[in-house]
Amino acid sequence: MEKVRVLIVDDHTVVRRGLRKILESTPEIEVVGEVGDGSQAVAAADQLSPDVVLMDVSLPVLNGIEAARRINAETPRARILMLSMHADEQYVRQSINAGARGYLLKDADDQDLVEAVLAVRRGETRYSGTLARAVSVECGCSPEILSPREREVLAMICSGRTNREVAEHLGLSVNTVETHRKHIIDKLDLHSTAELVRYAIRHGMVS
Amino acid sequence: MGKIRVLLVDDHTVVRQGLRRILELGPEVEIVGELGDGRLALEAAQRLRPTVAIVDISLPELNGIEVTRQLAKAAPDTRVLILSMHADDAYIRQSLRAGAKGYLLKDADDQDLLKAVAALHAGGSYFSPAVSKVVLEGYLHDGGRADDELATLSAREREVLQLIAEGKSNKEVAQALDIAVSTVESHRKHLMEKLDLHNTADMVRFAVRKGVVQ
Repeated sequence: MEKVRVLIVDDHTVVRRGLRKILESTPEIEVVGEVGDGSQAVAAADQLSPDVVLMDVSLPVLNGIEAARRINAETPRARILMLSMHADEQYVRQSINAGARGYLLKDADDQDLVEAVLAVRRGETRYSGTLARAVSVECGCSPEILSPREREVLAMICSGRTNREVAEHLGLSVNTVETHRKHIIDKLDLHSTAELVRYAIRHGMVS
Repeated sequence: MGKIRVLLVDDHTVVRQGLRRILELGPEVEIVGELGDGRLALEAAQRLRPTVAIVDISLPELNGIEVTRQLAKAAPDTRVLILSMHADDAYIRQSLRAGAKGYLLKDADDQDLLKAVAALHAGGSYFSPAVSKVVLEGYLHDGGRADDELATLSAREREVLQLIAEGKSNKEVAQALDIAVSTVESHRKHLMEKLDLHNTADMVRFAVRKGVVQ
């Protein structure tokens, strides 16, 4: 049987080398290339025609989601498996919308990685643990999970304002702010102010 | 000659296992343990007495800098190599102050990693080129004495800050550190006063900015 040809995309060389060693210890897999940014990934996918592209989400020059979108358009036979530190539903949805077939967290182990590469090659999908839930929820409909008003409320909460201050600032009742806050918490499945603040920082809503 | 005994600490399993495969190619390296959590790493280091501990800078519960600081006391023979995505001035200073002997960026390659481990084992140190540059510039600029707000906190206050920024309640922090809730409250109060922070959101943003949490 022919080997599964894999292209590895990760900007951290030592991480990429480690992933290569893991994949190469599997006889069914051949690593055909490794690159460190999204733009090189698009070019390499075109030149090398890999079966599977293992792609980090955060990449310089062109991020992993955008690179996935282009590879999916230009080299559709390559199946894309995202690899990320972030169990973030928004990234998962964006990746799927961009055409990725799977989303694996870096806290997966070597067996999970090999299994996911082989599964994606077979045309199946693979998502780490709890992410499957994010995927099963109406995927592809709304890339933005939060409404503009909710984003506004979240940004203000994260800059340390109380519900009352947010209400005054936005000309809303405190009740309405509390409702927004509850919806934000439900939608993001984040249960403490600390988690909300880190989410907002990661998504550029506050610094 | 005995092998270099290495402890690997990184919370991303697949990354850690990849590092293990690279290190095991070096004939003189033996991995004595691998862990994904800072607190467990401290226990393991005391028990296993590795020559070199490779410690990711961002770890849940107890970050890599705190692990380094505590290892310097608990297992002084173990030399710490920090592994980080960032050639960030604040991270580098804090790591060195905590007692790290090396600082390797994740864009180093497999040979660099092996060289770094060998250098620490031989009693030396190792810095990625971009890191050396930051260290040198910092030293030339201010003799290595830049003020660091984090350094104004006690080790316990830094631990409390990290756990709060991870979203734990006072009660959960108390359980994690095995101290009373009232003690947590007083640490919290002190650290907010020292840093002039006024609420939880402020604390979390400070902690992210300083690299205490991601």
